[in-house]
Amino acid sequence: MLDPDPKIIGDKRLLGVVPGKPGVGDRKEPAAEETVMVWPNLLVRHAVAALVVILVVVLIAVFFDAPLREIANPLNTPNPEKAPWYFAALQELLAQFHPLVAGVLVPGAIVLGLVALPYVDRNPSLDPRKRQIARATFTVFMVLWIALTLIGFMFRGENWSWVWPWQEWHGEL
Amino acid sequence: MNLSERIRKSTIGGSFFRSPDRVTERDRAAGHWSNFLLHLYPVKVRKVEITFKYTGFLGVTSAVLFGILTVTGVFLMFFYVPSPANAYGDVQNIQTQVAFGQFLRNAHRWAAHLMVLAVAAHLARVFYRGAYKPPKEFNWVVGVVLLVITLLLSFTGYLLPWDQLAYWAVTVGTSMAAYVPLIGDQVQELMLGGPTVGSATLLRFYVLHVAVLPLTLVGVLTLHIWRWRKDAMLTLDTKTGDIDA
Repeated sequence: MLDPDPKIIGDKRLLGVVPGKPGVGDRKEPAAEETVMVWPNLLVRHAVAALVVILVVVLIAVFFDAPLREIANPLNTPNPEKAPWYFAALQELLAQFHPLVAGVLVPGAIVLGLVALPYVDRNPSLDPRKRQIARATFTVFMVLWIALTLIGFMFRGENWSWVWPWQEWHGEL
Repeated sequence: MNLSERIRKSTIGGSFFRSPDRVTERDRAAGHWSNFLLHLYPVKVRKVEITFKYTGFLGVTSAVLFGILTVTGVFLMFFYVPSPANAYGDVQNIQTQVAFGQFLRNAHRWAAHLMVLAVAAHLARVFYRGAYKPPKEFNWVVGVVLLVITLLLSFTGYLLPWDQLAYWAVTVGTSMAAYVPLIGDQVQELMLGGPTVGSATLLRFYVLHVAVLPLTLVGVLTLHIWRWRKDAMLTLDTKTGDIDA
Protein backbone atom coordinates (compact mmCIF):
# COMPACT_ATOMS: atom_id res chain seq x y z
CA MET A 1 0.00 0.00 0.00
CA LEU A 2 1.51 3.24 -1.04
CA ASP A 3 1.46 6.29 1.19
CA PRO A 4 -0.18 8.99 -0.91
CA ASP A 5 1.58 11.74 1.03
CA PRO A 6 4.97 10.42 2.26
CA LYS A 7 6.97 12.55 4.70
CA ILE A 8 10.51 12.87 3.47
CA ILE A 9 13.37 13.77 5.83
CA GLY A 10 16.69 14.01 4.10
CA ASP A 11 16.39 11.26 1.49
CA LYS A 12 14.47 8.97 3.85
CA ARG A 13 10.76 8.30 4.02
CA LEU A 14 9.41 8.56 7.58
CA LEU A 15 7.07 5.63 8.34
CA GLY A 16 5.82 6.72 11.73
CA VAL A 17 6.50 8.07 15.18
CA VAL A 18 5.70 5.91 18.23
CA PRO A 19 4.93 7.56 21.58
CA GLY A 20 6.61 6.55 24.86
CA LYS A 21 10.01 5.39 25.97
CA PRO A 22 12.24 2.92 24.13
CA GLY A 23 11.01 -0.67 24.13
CA VAL A 24 13.68 -1.86 26.56
CA GLY A 25 11.95 0.08 29.32
CA ASP A 26 13.81 1.90 32.02
CA ARG A 27 17.27 0.83 30.98
CA LYS A 28 19.74 3.34 29.76
CA GLU A 29 22.07 2.45 26.96
CA PRO A 30 25.43 3.88 27.98
CA ALA A 31 26.83 6.50 25.69
CA ALA A 32 29.25 5.06 23.14
CA GLU A 33 32.32 6.80 24.55
CA GLU A 34 31.82 5.17 27.96
CA THR A 35 32.14 1.64 26.62
CA VAL A 36 34.90 -0.44 25.08
CA MET A 37 34.86 -3.63 23.07
CA VAL A 38 35.55 -6.70 25.23
CA TRP A 39 37.60 -8.07 22.35
CA PRO A 40 40.46 -7.22 22.70
CA ASN A 41 40.41 -4.81 25.68
CA LEU A 42 39.03 -7.03 28.45
CA LEU A 43 40.20 -10.35 26.98
CA VAL A 44 43.83 -9.19 26.92
CA ARG A 45 43.62 -8.04 30.53
CA HIS A 46 41.99 -11.30 31.61
CA ALA A 47 44.68 -13.28 29.80
CA VAL A 48 47.40 -11.32 31.61
CA ALA A 49 45.59 -11.77 34.95
CA ALA A 50 45.36 -15.53 34.29
CA LEU A 51 49.07 -15.75 33.48
CA VAL A 52 49.96 -13.83 36.64
CA VAL A 53 47.78 -16.13 38.78
CA ILE A 54 49.34 -19.24 37.21
CA LEU A 55 52.84 -17.82 37.73
CA VAL A 56 52.14 -17.05 41.39
CA VAL A 57 50.77 -20.55 42.05
CA VAL A 58 53.71 -22.18 40.25
CA LEU A 59 56.24 -20.14 42.23
CA ILE A 60 54.60 -20.91 45.58
CA ALA A 61 54.31 -24.61 44.65
CA VAL A 62 57.98 -24.78 43.66
CA PHE A 63 59.27 -23.21 46.86
CA PHE A 64 56.82 -24.37 49.53
CA ASP A 65 55.70 -27.95 50.11
CA ALA A 66 52.15 -28.69 51.21
CA PRO A 67 52.07 -29.93 54.81
CA LEU A 68 51.70 -33.64 55.57
CA ARG A 69 51.79 -34.63 59.23
CA GLU A 70 51.78 -38.15 60.72
CA ILE A 71 48.97 -40.49 59.69
CA ALA A 72 45.58 -39.76 61.29
CA ASN A 73 45.33 -41.23 64.77
CA PRO A 74 41.90 -41.01 66.47
CA LEU A 75 43.54 -41.86 69.81
CA ASN A 76 46.02 -38.98 69.78
CA THR A 77 44.37 -35.55 69.92
CA PRO A 78 46.84 -32.77 69.08
CA ASN A 79 46.98 -29.73 71.33
CA PRO A 80 45.91 -27.20 70.14
CA GLU A 81 43.27 -28.79 67.94
CA LYS A 82 42.77 -26.36 65.07
CA ALA A 83 40.11 -25.98 62.38
CA PRO A 84 41.20 -24.82 58.89
CA TRP A 85 42.22 -21.15 58.89
CA TYR A 86 39.00 -19.91 57.24
CA PHE A 87 37.04 -21.33 60.21
CA ALA A 88 39.56 -19.97 62.76
CA ALA A 89 37.31 -16.99 63.56
CA LEU A 90 34.42 -19.35 64.33
CA GLN A 91 36.68 -21.49 66.49
CA GLU A 92 37.81 -18.40 68.36
CA LEU A 93 34.18 -17.45 68.97
CA LEU A 94 33.53 -21.02 70.11
CA ALA A 95 36.08 -20.48 72.87
CA GLN A 96 34.29 -17.32 74.03
CA PHE A 97 30.59 -18.02 73.63
CA HIS A 98 28.07 -20.82 73.94
CA PRO A 99 28.47 -23.25 71.00
CA LEU A 100 24.97 -22.46 69.80
CA VAL A 101 25.98 -18.83 69.33
CA ALA A 102 29.42 -19.43 67.85
CA GLY A 103 28.72 -22.56 65.83
CA VAL A 104 25.21 -21.91 64.53
CA LEU A 105 23.85 -18.40 65.08
CA VAL A 106 26.91 -16.39 63.98
CA PRO A 107 27.66 -18.30 60.76
CA GLY A 108 23.94 -18.42 59.98
CA ALA A 109 23.63 -14.68 60.56
CA ILE A 110 26.65 -13.96 58.36
CA VAL A 111 25.29 -15.92 55.40
CA LEU A 112 21.76 -14.55 55.83
CA GLY A 113 23.10 -11.03 56.30
CA LEU A 114 25.14 -11.24 53.10
CA VAL A 115 22.18 -12.64 51.16
CA ALA A 116 19.89 -9.91 52.52
CA LEU A 117 22.35 -7.05 51.95
CA PRO A 118 21.13 -5.86 48.52
CA TYR A 119 17.51 -5.99 49.69
CA VAL A 120 18.20 -4.13 52.96
CA ASP A 121 20.51 -1.47 51.54
CA ARG A 122 18.12 0.27 49.12
CA ASN A 123 20.24 3.39 48.86
CA PRO A 124 20.78 3.67 45.10
CA SER A 125 23.90 5.83 45.33
CA LEU A 126 27.28 4.51 44.23
CA ASP A 127 29.09 7.56 45.58
CA PRO A 128 31.21 6.49 48.58
CA ARG A 129 30.36 9.73 50.38
CA LYS A 130 26.66 8.92 50.19
CA ARG A 131 27.11 5.33 51.42
CA GLN A 132 28.94 5.97 54.67
CA ILE A 133 26.64 3.88 56.90
CA ALA A 134 26.79 0.85 54.61
CA ARG A 135 30.54 1.13 54.17
CA ALA A 136 31.20 1.65 57.87
CA THR A 137 29.02 -1.31 58.87
CA PHE A 138 30.62 -3.64 56.36
CA THR A 139 34.12 -2.45 57.27
CA VAL A 140 33.56 -2.99 61.01
CA PHE A 141 32.35 -6.56 60.47
CA MET A 142 35.13 -7.31 58.00
CA VAL A 143 37.91 -6.00 60.25
CA LEU A 144 36.40 -7.86 63.21
CA TRP A 145 36.29 -11.07 61.19
CA ILE A 146 39.87 -10.71 59.93
CA ALA A 147 41.07 -10.00 63.49
CA LEU A 148 39.26 -13.06 64.89
CA THR A 149 40.66 -15.19 62.06
CA LEU A 150 44.21 -14.03 62.75
CA ILE A 151 43.79 -14.58 66.50
CA GLY A 152 42.41 -18.10 66.04
CA PHE A 153 44.99 -18.93 63.40
CA MET A 154 48.21 -17.55 64.90
CA PHE A 155 47.68 -16.35 68.47
CA ARG A 156 46.32 -19.52 70.04
CA GLY A 157 48.46 -22.33 71.41
CA GLU A 158 48.05 -25.21 73.84
CA ASN A 159 44.60 -25.39 75.44
CA TRP A 160 43.66 -22.38 73.29
CA SER A 161 45.81 -20.09 75.45
CA TRP A 162 47.22 -16.84 74.07
CA VAL A 163 50.64 -17.11 72.40
CA TRP A 164 52.71 -14.66 70.38
CA PRO A 165 53.27 -16.06 66.89
CA TRP A 166 56.95 -15.00 66.92
CA GLN A 167 57.50 -17.08 70.06
CA GLU A 168 55.41 -20.18 69.32
CA TRP A 169 53.94 -20.87 65.91
CA HIS A 170 50.67 -22.84 65.84
CA GLY A 171 49.19 -21.75 62.49
CA GLU A 172 48.47 -24.66 60.17
CA LEU A 173 47.72 -24.36 56.48
CA MET B 1 48.18 -13.12 5.88
CA ASN B 2 49.48 -14.52 9.16
CA LEU B 3 49.10 -18.08 10.39
CA SER B 4 46.01 -17.65 12.57
CA GLU B 5 44.24 -15.85 9.74
CA ARG B 6 45.13 -18.66 7.33
CA ILE B 7 43.79 -21.25 9.78
CA ARG B 8 40.55 -19.33 10.24
CA LYS B 9 40.07 -18.97 6.49
CA SER B 10 40.82 -22.62 5.66
CA THR B 11 38.00 -25.14 5.19
CA ILE B 12 38.63 -26.98 8.45
CA GLY B 13 39.57 -23.93 10.50
CA GLY B 14 36.57 -22.04 9.17
CA SER B 15 34.26 -24.82 10.34
CA PHE B 16 35.71 -24.40 13.85
CA PHE B 17 35.69 -20.66 14.18
CA ARG B 18 32.78 -19.63 11.91
CA SER B 19 33.46 -15.89 11.87
CA PRO B 20 36.64 -15.55 9.87
CA ASP B 21 37.67 -11.98 10.59
CA ARG B 22 38.38 -9.98 13.71
CA VAL B 23 38.91 -6.66 12.00
CA THR B 24 35.87 -4.51 12.62
CA GLU B 25 33.85 -4.24 15.81
CA ARG B 26 31.06 -6.06 14.03
CA ASP B 27 33.40 -9.01 13.32
CA ARG B 28 34.46 -9.16 16.94
CA ALA B 29 30.87 -9.08 18.18
CA ALA B 30 30.06 -11.90 15.75
CA GLY B 31 33.07 -13.77 17.13
CA HIS B 32 31.59 -13.57 20.61
CA TRP B 33 28.23 -14.96 19.67
CA SER B 34 29.69 -17.86 17.70
CA ASN B 35 32.26 -18.90 20.32
CA PHE B 36 31.23 -21.17 23.17
CA LEU B 37 33.56 -19.68 25.79
CA LEU B 38 33.49 -16.06 24.67
CA HIS B 39 29.73 -16.32 24.67
CA LEU B 40 30.00 -15.87 28.45
CA TYR B 41 31.41 -12.38 27.88
CA PRO B 42 29.43 -9.31 26.94
CA VAL B 43 30.41 -7.69 23.64
CA LYS B 44 31.03 -4.34 25.25
CA VAL B 45 31.64 -3.25 28.81
CA ARG B 46 31.85 0.12 30.44
CA LYS B 47 35.36 1.50 30.24
CA VAL B 48 35.74 1.51 34.04
CA GLU B 49 35.14 -2.25 34.20
CA ILE B 50 38.44 -3.09 32.54
CA THR B 51 40.53 -1.18 35.08
CA PHE B 52 42.43 -2.86 37.90
CA LYS B 53 41.32 -0.16 40.30
CA TYR B 54 37.66 -1.00 39.78
CA THR B 55 37.67 -4.81 39.84
CA GLY B 56 41.11 -5.95 41.04
CA PHE B 57 40.49 -8.78 38.51
CA LEU B 58 39.43 -10.83 41.53
CA GLY B 59 36.56 -12.61 39.79
CA VAL B 60 38.70 -13.85 36.93
CA THR B 61 41.43 -14.71 39.46
CA SER B 62 38.97 -16.92 41.37
CA ALA B 63 37.89 -18.61 38.14
CA VAL B 64 41.48 -19.24 37.03
CA LEU B 65 42.31 -20.72 40.44
CA PHE B 66 39.31 -23.02 40.08
CA GLY B 67 40.70 -24.08 36.70
CA ILE B 68 44.12 -24.82 38.23
CA LEU B 69 42.40 -26.79 41.01
CA THR B 70 40.43 -28.84 38.50
CA VAL B 71 43.51 -29.78 36.46
CA THR B 72 45.76 -30.56 39.43
CA GLY B 73 42.88 -32.27 41.26
CA VAL B 74 42.14 -34.65 38.40
CA PHE B 75 45.84 -35.49 38.30
CA LEU B 76 45.83 -36.32 42.02
CA MET B 77 42.72 -38.50 41.60
CA PHE B 78 44.68 -40.94 39.43
CA PHE B 79 46.88 -41.83 42.40
CA TYR B 80 44.51 -41.64 45.33
CA VAL B 81 42.10 -44.13 46.95
CA PRO B 82 39.73 -42.65 49.56
CA SER B 83 40.00 -45.22 52.33
CA PRO B 84 41.78 -44.94 55.68
CA ALA B 85 44.00 -47.88 54.72
CA ASN B 86 45.23 -46.27 51.49
CA ALA B 87 44.78 -42.49 51.59
CA TYR B 88 47.81 -41.46 53.64
CA GLY B 89 50.15 -43.84 51.84
CA ASP B 90 48.82 -42.68 48.48
CA VAL B 91 49.61 -39.05 49.34
CA GLN B 92 53.13 -40.08 50.43
CA ASN B 93 53.45 -42.01 47.19
CA ILE B 94 52.32 -38.96 45.19
CA GLN B 95 54.99 -36.88 46.90
CA THR B 96 57.86 -39.33 46.51
CA GLN B 97 57.18 -41.66 43.57
CA VAL B 98 54.88 -39.88 41.09
CA ALA B 99 56.49 -37.61 38.50
CA PHE B 100 55.69 -33.97 39.38
CA GLY B 101 53.48 -35.35 42.18
CA GLN B 102 54.88 -33.15 44.94
CA PHE B 103 54.68 -30.06 42.72
CA LEU B 104 51.08 -30.70 41.66
CA ARG B 105 49.96 -31.50 45.20
CA ASN B 106 51.60 -28.26 46.36
CA ALA B 107 49.87 -26.33 43.57
CA HIS B 108 46.51 -27.88 44.49
CA ARG B 109 46.91 -27.03 48.17
CA TRP B 110 48.09 -23.45 47.71
CA ALA B 111 45.63 -22.67 44.92
CA ALA B 112 42.83 -23.86 47.22
CA HIS B 113 43.85 -21.45 49.98
CA LEU B 114 44.30 -18.66 47.44
CA MET B 115 40.84 -19.34 45.99
CA VAL B 116 39.19 -18.83 49.39
CA LEU B 117 41.10 -15.55 49.71
CA ALA B 118 40.30 -14.45 46.15
CA VAL B 119 36.58 -15.20 46.46
CA ALA B 120 36.38 -13.34 49.78
CA ALA B 121 38.30 -10.39 48.33
CA HIS B 122 36.02 -10.40 45.27
CA LEU B 123 33.02 -10.14 47.60
CA ALA B 124 34.56 -7.21 49.47
CA ARG B 125 35.55 -5.41 46.25
CA VAL B 126 32.03 -5.81 44.83
CA PHE B 127 30.62 -4.43 48.06
CA TYR B 128 32.83 -1.36 48.09
CA ARG B 129 31.98 -0.40 44.54
CA GLY B 130 28.29 -0.97 45.21
CA ALA B 131 27.97 -3.50 42.42
CA TYR B 132 25.30 -5.46 44.30
CA LYS B 133 22.75 -2.71 43.71
CA PRO B 134 19.85 -2.99 41.29
CA PRO B 135 19.65 -4.65 38.82
CA LYS B 136 22.39 -6.92 40.18
CA GLU B 137 20.94 -7.90 43.59
CA PHE B 138 20.32 -11.49 42.64
CA ASN B 139 23.79 -11.97 41.21
CA TRP B 140 25.19 -10.91 44.59
CA VAL B 141 23.11 -13.69 46.18
CA VAL B 142 24.49 -16.15 43.61
CA GLY B 143 27.96 -14.94 44.57
CA VAL B 144 27.30 -15.66 48.26
CA VAL B 145 26.24 -19.19 47.27
CA LEU B 146 29.54 -19.53 45.38
CA LEU B 147 31.46 -18.41 48.48
CA VAL B 148 29.74 -21.10 50.56
CA ILE B 149 30.45 -23.76 47.91
CA THR B 150 34.10 -22.65 47.82
CA LEU B 151 34.39 -23.05 51.59
CA LEU B 152 32.74 -26.48 51.46
CA LEU B 153 35.08 -27.55 48.65
CA SER B 154 38.09 -26.47 50.65
CA PHE B 155 36.83 -28.09 53.84
CA THR B 156 36.00 -31.45 52.21
CA GLY B 157 39.39 -31.47 50.51
CA TYR B 158 41.11 -30.77 53.83
CA LEU B 159 40.29 -34.30 55.09
CA LEU B 160 41.61 -36.23 52.11
CA PRO B 161 45.35 -36.45 53.01
CA TRP B 162 44.20 -38.33 56.15
CA ASP B 163 46.99 -36.99 58.34
CA GLN B 164 46.68 -35.62 61.88
CA LEU B 165 46.11 -32.09 60.55
CA ALA B 166 43.24 -33.24 58.33
CA TYR B 167 41.66 -35.57 60.84
CA TRP B 168 41.46 -33.13 63.73
CA ALA B 169 40.62 -30.04 61.69
CA VAL B 170 37.59 -31.89 60.32
CA THR B 171 36.74 -33.22 63.78
CA VAL B 172 36.66 -29.64 65.08
CA GLY B 173 34.78 -28.33 62.05
CA THR B 174 32.08 -30.98 62.06
CA SER B 175 31.62 -30.82 65.84
CA MET B 176 30.08 -27.36 65.34
CA ALA B 177 27.27 -28.94 63.32
CA ALA B 178 26.19 -30.88 66.43
CA TYR B 179 25.03 -27.63 68.02
CA VAL B 180 22.32 -26.98 65.45
CA PRO B 181 19.09 -26.98 67.51
CA LEU B 182 16.91 -30.12 67.40
CA ILE B 183 18.59 -31.80 64.42
CA GLY B 184 22.26 -31.20 65.34
CA ASP B 185 23.14 -34.81 66.04
CA GLN B 186 21.49 -35.96 62.83
CA VAL B 187 23.31 -33.30 60.80
CA GLN B 188 26.64 -34.37 62.28
CA GLU B 189 25.81 -38.04 61.71
CA LEU B 190 24.95 -37.26 58.08
CA MET B 191 28.28 -35.49 57.55
CA LEU B 192 30.39 -38.09 59.34
CA GLY B 193 28.52 -41.28 58.48
CA GLY B 194 29.16 -42.44 62.04
CA PRO B 195 29.87 -41.16 65.55
CA THR B 196 33.40 -39.98 64.70
CA VAL B 197 35.47 -39.16 61.61
CA GLY B 198 36.13 -42.50 59.95
CA SER B 199 36.12 -44.40 56.67
CA ALA B 200 32.52 -43.37 55.87
CA THR B 201 33.45 -39.71 56.42
CA LEU B 202 36.46 -39.99 54.12
CA LEU B 203 34.36 -41.53 51.34
CA ARG B 204 31.58 -38.94 51.75
CA PHE B 205 33.99 -36.02 51.74
CA TYR B 206 35.79 -37.47 48.72
CA VAL B 207 32.61 -37.85 46.65
CA LEU B 208 31.49 -34.36 47.63
CA HIS B 209 34.94 -32.95 46.90
CA VAL B 210 35.56 -34.49 43.47
CA ALA B 211 32.05 -34.71 42.04
CA VAL B 212 29.09 -33.07 43.77
CA LEU B 213 30.61 -29.75 44.82
CA PRO B 214 32.73 -29.02 41.71
CA LEU B 215 29.81 -29.76 39.38
CA THR B 216 27.52 -27.59 41.50
CA LEU B 217 30.12 -24.83 41.46
CA VAL B 218 30.46 -24.96 37.67
CA GLY B 219 26.68 -24.72 37.28
CA VAL B 220 26.23 -21.84 39.71
CA LEU B 221 29.33 -20.09 38.36
CA THR B 222 27.93 -20.27 34.83
CA LEU B 223 24.75 -18.60 36.08
CA HIS B 224 26.86 -15.98 37.85
CA ILE B 225 28.87 -15.10 34.73
CA TRP B 226 25.83 -15.21 32.47
CA ARG B 227 24.03 -12.72 34.69
CA TRP B 228 27.12 -10.53 34.77
CA ARG B 229 27.04 -10.51 30.96
CA LYS B 230 23.35 -9.70 30.92
CA ASP B 231 23.83 -6.87 33.39
CA ALA B 232 27.00 -5.51 31.83
CA MET B 233 25.12 -3.00 29.72
CA LEU B 234 22.55 -2.02 32.32
CA THR B 235 24.38 0.70 34.09
CA LEU B 236 23.89 2.92 37.03
CA ASP B 237 24.64 6.54 36.50
CA THR B 238 27.76 6.92 38.58
CA LYS B 239 27.82 10.71 38.32
CA THR B 240 24.57 11.47 40.08
CA GLY B 241 24.27 8.21 41.95
CA ASP B 242 20.67 7.80 40.88
CA ILE B 243 19.17 4.81 39.17
CA ASP B 244 18.54 5.66 35.56
CA ALA B 245 14.88 5.72 34.92
